Amino acid sequence: MLHTKIIIDSTQEIFSTMIMLEITPGEPFTRGKEMLTNSISGLVGLAGTTKGMLAIHLPNQVAKLITTAFLGLEVEEIDEDVRDAIGELANMLAGSIKSALDPKGSDIKLSMPSAVHGEEYSVNCLANTQSFTVPFDLDGKTFLVELQLHMEG
Amino acid sequence: MGKTVLIVDDSNTMRKIVTRALRQAGIDFDEILEAGDGQEALAVLADNKIDVVLSDINMPNMNGLEFLKAKAENPAIKDIPVVMISTETGADIIDEAKSYGAKGAVKKPFTPELINEVLGPLI
Repeated sequence: MLHTKIIIDSTQEIFSTMIMLEITPGEPFTRGKEMLTNSISGLVGLAGTTKGMLAIHLPNQVAKLITTAFLGLEVEEIDEDVRDAIGELANMLAGSIKSALDPKGSDIKLSMPSAVHGEEYSVNCLANTQSFTVPFDLDGKTFLVELQLHMEG
Repeated sequence: MGKTVLIVDDSNTMRKIVTRALRQAGIDFDEILEAGDGQEALAVLADNKIDVVLSDINMPNMNGLEFLKAKAENPAIKDIPVVMISTETGADIIDEAKSYGAKGAVKKPFTPELINEVLGPLI
């Protein structure tokens, strides 16, 4: 499947190049409207010829681990540094996925990244979307990278 | 005489990562200044002697392309080289950036080696 391969390649490139943490992709699946718990999600919207949303969903513990590796500083809680780092991670993922889907770069527009977190929340994009979700293992813990694309008709 | 670089990115995380990558690339700047968007960058350029600018494209208030346009219209700063450093490196966007004077582009994610390859000839 093209979209899950793009997600896997983009995520592995970012983690190996800039975060220096080893991750292992799992079996792709279609995420429903399940609630996320004690997590943080980085989000970027896609508009233009391809509409939808790129999201990375990380348990708090994984988000702090990634932020520490990303910035080289210890973080104790989900603070502004973590929100900014996870938003920037989503931004890089969306940029890589956009490059694969739109090599010239003028057909798809990306929103500014944002981050949401909480004890229990859900992240949904639009009606009539198809979701491609890949779980990744990081040090025995799992995070998700999800691409929701609007399907015409 | 030491050189000064200006890093323009709305993400504090990315400004720190670019700073670290410059050091890892062995590029020796005496001073590294930061700005959070194009408007802030223009203000920094007006008040400081900057040798090279590394700028994101997708930023609030004034994005990287708007920053390039505004800079090109100001004779006092128009010749300071700018390298775009962004997730947005499609050919159309980079061509537009170069038409406003950008000297090169680095795609996020990047390595220190790539930063050195693009930035090295400019300093």
